[in-house]
Amino acid sequence: MIKVEKLTKEFTRSKAQKKELNTNENITTAVENVSFTCNPGEVFSLLGPNGAGKTTTLRMISTIIQPTSGEVEICGIDAIQFPREARMKIGFLTGSTGLYARLNANEIIDYFASLYNVPKALLKERKAYLYDLLDMKGFAHKKIGKLSTGMKQKVSICRTMIHDPEVLIFDEPTSGLDVITAESIIKLIRSCKEQGKTVIFSSHIMGEVDLLSDRLAIIHNGVLKHHGTMTDFRSEMKDKSLTQAFINIVQS
Amino acid sequence: MIFKIFKKELKETLRDKRTMIMMVVIPMLVFPLLINVVTSISGSFEDSAEEKKIKIGIIGDTSDYLAQKLYDIPSSFGPKEVVAYAGDSSQMLNDYRNEKLDILLFYEPNIQKKLDANEKAIVKWTLDKTKIGNQGRAKSYMQIIEAEARFLRYDALGIDEEALKPFEVIYENSASEQQMIGELAGGFLPYIFIAFGFMGCMYPAIDLFTGEKERGTIETLLSTPVHRWKILVGKMLVIILSGLMAAFSALLGLFLSIQYLDMVPDVKLIEVISTILTPTFIIKLFFLLLPLTIFFAGVMVPVSVYTKTFKEAQSIIAPMNIVVILPAMVGLFPGIELNIATACVPILNIVLTTKSLIAGNVDYLLFALSFAVMLILAGVAVLFSFRQFGKESNVLS
Repeated sequence: MIKVEKLTKEFTRSKAQKKELNTNENITTAVENVSFTCNPGEVFSLLGPNGAGKTTTLRMISTIIQPTSGEVEICGIDAIQFPREARMKIGFLTGSTGLYARLNANEIIDYFASLYNVPKALLKERKAYLYDLLDMKGFAHKKIGKLSTGMKQKVSICRTMIHDPEVLIFDEPTSGLDVITAESIIKLIRSCKEQGKTVIFSSHIMGEVDLLSDRLAIIHNGVLKHHGTMTDFRSEMKDKSLTQAFINIVQS
Repeated sequence: MIFKIFKKELKETLRDKRTMIMMVVIPMLVFPLLINVVTSISGSFEDSAEEKKIKIGIIGDTSDYLAQKLYDIPSSFGPKEVVAYAGDSSQMLNDYRNEKLDILLFYEPNIQKKLDANEKAIVKWTLDKTKIGNQGRAKSYMQIIEAEARFLRYDALGIDEEALKPFEVIYENSASEQQMIGELAGGFLPYIFIAFGFMGCMYPAIDLFTGEKERGTIETLLSTPVHRWKILVGKMLVIILSGLMAAFSALLGLFLSIQYLDMVPDVKLIEVISTILTPTFIIKLFFLLLPLTIFFAGVMVPVSVYTKTFKEAQSIIAPMNIVVILPAMVGLFPGIELNIATACVPILNIVLTTKSLIAGNVDYLLFALSFAVMLILAGVAVLFSFRQFGKESNVLS
């Protein structure tokens, strides 16, 4: 479960940024008082245009950056007070995630498993399950630099899932991927939901959101514009398409 | 956890060809190449200077006293040709300017008479000192001619040559061969180790921090339940090891070129260097290089953390090499010695302490002071690295 309460993140602008934006203001607010809850066995979508604050919000939830104020709770753990304990429960994947090109897929999986202190027996079991699920056996010993984009994405998914996290955070996971590779991510999200995991993902593709989400939140300029179930969103929308409804909310 | 990070980063670093070239190949080749180039160039200069036929122009005739004496000098003192100009000084000077002659020999026309009358005769050699061998050849010819003339004069005057020597003076060098090498070349060795230590740290530092940002892997690493300081220490250990490895490769190259590649012709020099390169010396050298390499890593990491691209990091770190080399170069100057003041100057203190180690006259209090100064600086640099690595704006783009 993820519980976010009045989450705010402010960044200090550098001299170059102030010059570029022609402003004297030192502080910029990326996320302001954002609150929502994601439940286990549920897929939660965080929607918003570019620069809306989606990545910042997900980075705060995954404890990569610290919020200026507010609270984050991961499976009952205060993620601000105990970030490392919270991270043990989290699997984090972004669309722009890179992999170590000079290592092979197997070495990367072993490395991340060791960082999460996954016991050897469990690692063997998880690898067998994930390699089979993602059809990775054919390239597990190939260097990352020699893999296709789709294969790399499978390695990233395997790396995210190796410690069997209860909470999965996906930041625009299908961005830049072809339809077939994107499909593997969608399958993964569905499978996580079926296993009772808590899934939050950010996107600006309404098709994906419609396909996967149980609940959604729309964020714009760091402020939450909408928060509710997908069923309510569909029933309340006045437009024919979900994309138009999303645009209307953002522009309101 | 630090070891897990270290192991993975080391594996990746060892698989990077660029880092391996900078860390092992170039440092290992530098001494064999340097020794080879220096010995072959100086050897070929010496050989060509010895074999070169020197053309000596004289204003008089080939039957003149000095011309005859020159002819009498055996060819084992170097081949020569005497060209007589019979009073045509302008032609002789013209040929000298056009490099048809190597040396000009001027003497008084009545030189034979003056010598017979036991008077002093003036002899002038004109030569270009920039041309290797010319001065040496003129001096050796003159010494032979003068010794013969002196002997004849003593004989004519009935003087015992030995009676004219009131003293038998001996200048004894109390410095050992090791001390001589320490003073003359001792600064050069640590300079090379420091330069390669720096270069060895550079590529891994950029690759492990800026490279990780550039490749988009840092975010994933920071989402794992590992303390940020442990990630930093694990990575820094690889940078430090790379720096020490580069210095060790340079030392290994030196050892191999002396022991197995037969590159140094001077047997005595080989013996002295072999007595210097003992396991104790190597341990002491690396003990000194350790805080220095930590300091290098501590200086490079904040830059690598701050910069966004490999190119940007390289453009900042590479010029820092000059800042490192300048104090190291001061140690090359003769007369600069290790004392309380110089032991407090970072980098220079390591050069001078190593120089004393090579010369075998190190003061261990100053050794400890140099080490402590570098250790404190290394600590400050590591703390600064930690602060920079902790900054969200530096780590994430």
